Amino acid sequence: MSDLLAVRELSKTFGSNQLPAVDEVSFDCQKGEILAIVGGSGSGKTTLLRLIAGLEIPDSGEIVLEGMKINGQGTFLPPEKRDCALVFQDYALFPNMTVEQNVFFGKAAKKRRQEVEKLLELTQIDDLRNRYPHQISGGEQQRVALVRALATQPSLVLLDEPLSHLDPELRNSVRDDLLNLFKETGTTALFVSHDTEDAMAMADRVIVMRNGQAIQVGTPMEVYTKPADRYVALLFGKTNLIPLDQIPDAPHHFQDDRSEAEVVSIRPHEWKVITKNSADSGTAISGRVTHVHYKGNHLEVVFESGGMQIIFNAPPKAAIKVGEELAIAPKFD
Amino acid sequence: MKRTLSGLGRGFLFKLNGWTLSALILGLLIFIPMAAVLWHLTDPSENWKHLEETVLTSYLKDSLILVLGTVFFSVLAGVSCAWLVSCCEFPGRKVLEWVLVLPLAVPTFIAAYAYFDLLAMIEEEMIPLVIWARTKSLEDLDTVIFLLDSLKYPVTILVMASVLYPYVYLLARASFSRQGSQLIEAARTLGYRPRSIFFRVALPLARPAIVAGASLVVMETLNDYGAVKHFGVSTFTNGIFRTWFNMNDLPGALRLAALLMLFILFLLVVERILRSGAKFEEKGTVVRSFKRYRLGPAGSTLAILCCLLPLTFGFLIPLGRLSLWAKESYQKILDFSFLELITNSLALAAASSLLIVLVATFLAFAGRYFKNPAVHASNRLAILGYSVPGAVVAMAILLIASPFNLSLGILLTGSLFTLLFAYLIRFLAVAWQPIDSGMEKNCDRLNEASQSLKASPLVSLLKINLPLIRPSLWAAGLLVFVDTMKELPLTLILRPFNFETLSTRTYDLTSNSQIPESSVPAICIILVVVIPVIWLNRKMEARK
Repeated sequence: MSDLLAVRELSKTFGSNQLPAVDEVSFDCQKGEILAIVGGSGSGKTTLLRLIAGLEIPDSGEIVLEGMKINGQGTFLPPEKRDCALVFQDYALFPNMTVEQNVFFGKAAKKRRQEVEKLLELTQIDDLRNRYPHQISGGEQQRVALVRALATQPSLVLLDEPLSHLDPELRNSVRDDLLNLFKETGTTALFVSHDTEDAMAMADRVIVMRNGQAIQVGTPMEVYTKPADRYVALLFGKTNLIPLDQIPDAPHHFQDDRSEAEVVSIRPHEWKVITKNSADSGTAISGRVTHVHYKGNHLEVVFESGGMQIIFNAPPKAAIKVGEELAIAPKFD
Repeated sequence: MKRTLSGLGRGFLFKLNGWTLSALILGLLIFIPMAAVLWHLTDPSENWKHLEETVLTSYLKDSLILVLGTVFFSVLAGVSCAWLVSCCEFPGRKVLEWVLVLPLAVPTFIAAYAYFDLLAMIEEEMIPLVIWARTKSLEDLDTVIFLLDSLKYPVTILVMASVLYPYVYLLARASFSRQGSQLIEAARTLGYRPRSIFFRVALPLARPAIVAGASLVVMETLNDYGAVKHFGVSTFTNGIFRTWFNMNDLPGALRLAALLMLFILFLLVVERILRSGAKFEEKGTVVRSFKRYRLGPAGSTLAILCCLLPLTFGFLIPLGRLSLWAKESYQKILDFSFLELITNSLALAAASSLLIVLVATFLAFAGRYFKNPAVHASNRLAILGYSVPGAVVAMAILLIASPFNLSLGILLTGSLFTLLFAYLIRFLAVAWQPIDSGMEKNCDRLNEASQSLKASPLVSLLKINLPLIRPSLWAAGLLVFVDTMKELPLTLILRPFNFETLSTRTYDLTSNSQIPESSVPAICIILVVVIPVIWLNRKMEARK
């Protein structure tokens, strides 16, 4: 296998804290792959990134980058010797240097003038080279930070919340720019995000973290449709956790750590309203509509069935009224 | 140009009210004495030609040598110690971090008295050299005598730098720890070792702080009178006293003072230019605490020695020698008049702190709350006094007050009132700086809010500004207190007849060659000042 990065049972506890910040995390990352680490605040995702960058020293476990052990028992390669670059959350641009000086600051960057010039062009910041960081916009700063990291031609780029400082409009375009740049330069990237939408849009695979543990690793599709537990299911957006005995033919289910019952996660858009004479009324759930919210491209309907609340989406022009008695069924495609 | 001027005029008229008008008058009142000194730059003076021919170049030369040397060693000691305690980890670091500020409690003139015989001792060692040179030729003798004469420079420089380096140390340390870990980490992930990061990232970022610290050292060096007089270095301040008191040439002294002011204004402009352009503060400061670079046994020993060196010269040796002398002489010196001395000093320092903090708060508030450009400008002029040596401020006051002496029939000069006013001119900036930046940080937006809620300016000042900037007020008051306690030249000239403070008594005793006896008031000054110095250092620590 062409594993670029292998992380094995990595653990780190800070100071006198009882709970580890990173708890026996293991995963692999292949060359050219884009990996996202997602989780709420305090889940240990940034610490994991800093461990890989060499900015923190792990208590146990090992990290192998390009076949070389960079962390392990008695081994610690300092950050300046690691073949990876980190893009900081607030960019960490040197405020006293121009864009050009920032970009060419990296030791390896100085020997690759032409390639770096190309990166400057590609990211459209070559006109800003004589400006200082405080004289350019947030999106531009982000690109400068990225080019500064890529300029050293690392085999792995680590990004800490790359999109968190950008406003929603800028976000989508920067997301695409990043993806294109990574694909064009064949970069392997590992990024941390609290925004699952970013992670799903950009990553080939997603690592979900909680309390320092990697609770699920998989493609965005897998994590979204087949969550390992309640936390993962809710992290990726609104969902309904329906007891398995109501939908026995569900393709995926897990044990809910609250009710300890086996449940199925069915997202609001995975429901259909069935007419009374429908054939597949076997798994149908019938109940009463309590609220209808108009959301522009769909209606969000809140539905109650035997004390259980279900949220589902309906077409915007569907004639669903509050108080109406309905039957709905999940659609598994 | 015309348009901006008329725009300024309109804004000025629009915002003129009781507050801004009195702030303007007060600010200009504080500035007028200094302007008066500059006004006399071209006055005719009988001796000026003579001064120009004989001593002016030596004043300039000595001032430059002393300033450059003192700044060099202060920056060297201040920056390296600041880097060591804020970026490295070694045994004893935490203690060194605060004891390194202690030399701040030792006024330059007292440090000079503690080392009073250093120059003489070195010269004594050189006697064989002189004897040897005499047997050779006259030229050799001249060289040796020139060398002996030049010895006063390194000695004065080292004595001054060893008590003035804390200015650089404090500001550089704050800058290093504010830089946070992120930029350093960024440099590491880009391939630099910790050692080269100091020169490539940390030092360039700290440059404005170091320059600011160095300019404080310049002001203090030029302000000093006791040390330069003792070691015979002819700086401008020394020259002003000499021309005035020894030669009785007031116009000549005035002209020297004006030249000195021009010299300092020039330095201030240079500092401004150096600071323009790049920004040096990272926006959005990082909470992540700095991970210090752990030193090995050899490195730790070196680091400890490096920090102990300036501390020893600037604090331990002076305090040690003074204590030894004090043990011998305290019975001769301690009597009821000494108690009066302490009360005089404390009361004077407390009164000036109170007055200056009040004025500074009023001026800063009037400037910020009403956003009046004229008040802004007059505030800037008013705080210029800090960059002017005490001797020049004293001359300025005498210049302004002497006409009143005659017309009012009372002696304005030599009253406590004038002395306090002189302190106000000299130390306003010390209080204004923390108060103004405290208001900028905490109150600007809230003032706008209270304005829109139709609260009166007085209510905003009392209910919002004062409670929120209380830490700044304390810091400002203590800084002024420390400076007033240490002050010598101004107090020496302007004190009322028979009114003595600890610092003037120290000076008087040493002038009568009673150096061991002078140790008792000198130690009192150090001990009184050390307490607020430690407290202020704690506050700075807590803030980061």
